[in-house]
Amino acid sequence: MNANTETRAPARTGWVSAAGKVNASLLSLVVAALAWEVIGRLADVPFFPPLSDVLGVLGDLITDGDIFGNLLTSLGNLALGFALSLVAGLVVGTAMGRYRRVNAALGIYVYALLTAPSLVFAPIFFSILGAGQASIVAVVFMYSAFIMIINTASAVENVSDSLIEMGRSYGAGEWQLVTRVILPAAAPMIFAGIRLGMGRAVTGMINGEMFIAVVGLGRMVTQAGKRFDGAEVLAILLVIIAVALAAIALVQFVDRKVTGWVPATSKESG
Amino acid sequence: MIEISGLGKTFIGQDGAAVRALDDVNLTVQENEFLTVLGPSGCGKTTMLKMIAGLLPWDQGEIAIGGAPVRGPGPDRSMVFQNFALLPWATVLDNVAFGLRMRGVGKKEREERSRELISLVGLSGFESKRPGELSGGMQQRVGLARALAVEPSVLLMDEPFGAVDEQTRRLLQEELLAIWEKNRLTVVFITHSMEEAVLLGDRVVLMSARPGQISEIVPVPLERPRSSDVGGVERSSDYVNITAYLWERLREMHEERSVVAGSGPSV
Repeated sequence: MNANTETRAPARTGWVSAAGKVNASLLSLVVAALAWEVIGRLADVPFFPPLSDVLGVLGDLITDGDIFGNLLTSLGNLALGFALSLVAGLVVGTAMGRYRRVNAALGIYVYALLTAPSLVFAPIFFSILGAGQASIVAVVFMYSAFIMIINTASAVENVSDSLIEMGRSYGAGEWQLVTRVILPAAAPMIFAGIRLGMGRAVTGMINGEMFIAVVGLGRMVTQAGKRFDGAEVLAILLVIIAVALAAIALVQFVDRKVTGWVPATSKESG
Repeated sequence: MIEISGLGKTFIGQDGAAVRALDDVNLTVQENEFLTVLGPSGCGKTTMLKMIAGLLPWDQGEIAIGGAPVRGPGPDRSMVFQNFALLPWATVLDNVAFGLRMRGVGKKEREERSRELISLVGLSGFESKRPGELSGGMQQRVGLARALAVEPSVLLMDEPFGAVDEQTRRLLQEELLAIWEKNRLTVVFITHSMEEAVLLGDRVVLMSARPGQISEIVPVPLERPRSSDVGGVERSSDYVNITAYLWERLREMHEERSVVAGSGPSV
């Protein structure tokens, strides 16, 4: 419809509204922190201490240095599990989106595994792979791979036929068609799936560590929980949330690099 | 030269009924001829073009280009699409160079060649813009430059100016005429506008729908070059008469169709 406009509409997020966005986020954080503090003090229960107590414990954990080794272990598990999921998501997803037969053959498993509670596989990995990193990586994979596969598949399926026809008409082979036309065209939607996958990977990492190997941040949460140390549980939870947000910010950073061509206006809704 | 003989194709529609998209189409496009194809929607004109491009299979008949049967897309043909079909993430330069890149032309050579074509279609200075930053008319110039960059012997154009506004369309028609008058490619040009068909074509192929068939081939004896005096062409009696005749024929087709659609018990 906008074929006749001389240039595309200017993006709505100029620096003024960007500043407004930052202010709104800050304000929302301050309100939430205050609410936490007040409710924590009023409730006075061991598992919901006020924010100030939690931050105090977090400070201790950092000065002890106790948390860093565990954080590194967790990040390693997360990175490895997510990387494997990403490869599977792109390869299997592209194959499913592009080839009807692959979709028919694999679709049922992918949907089954997407909806199955991923943690039920933990005992299986535990018994096969032992109580080590491999089991946790496998759990991370189970959590994050299938959403990325399904999302990539539908992104690839949705690439406009005319772009594919164009590619074929100029002599693109199947590999060129996939790498030069289909994947770049599908990239914005694929990245939406990668963001979801990253969030699930963090969940998988924590659950895996708590359930199987008792290492990393998951172990610290479990141990603090056993001591009924609510403040430490929540302090570690804050660290986990920071990890998740940082991981998702990383995905968004790469997303912006790769799909910077998508007009800002059409991205806002996504 | 493009030789089409006995070309036929039946689609199975969404309701499971067979639709005869093309039926016994016989057509010869001469070397260096500008052939326009006109017809109501559903007459199979785009289907035929995509078959010539090697993008769609057919059931009966044969298409040969320069004596060689068409088995798929080939470097002798390139296509301009109605919706432009540009890569939205790629710059104008990379879009124009796309066909060359698919053919393994080196970076330096393909950029050089693409810049020439960009200048030919009047887009110099826009090399690093993306399609989303261009108007529809400019986007189709990119589409045309991309098609010409691979130096095809046959240019296939599928309602290329159907998605741009009337004024842009007229400018693009004049520019296409001027470019064609220089290089004299064989062109098959699909359109639903009789004015466009007559202004551009050496002959107008009139197709009818259900089944998609060639109804008539109308020669256009207007002199060339036409690009220098399009206004004069449009005032000439040949132009006026042929366009009027084509409209008469098209209107008959529409009327026949509404009679067919309106008669008989509805099921």
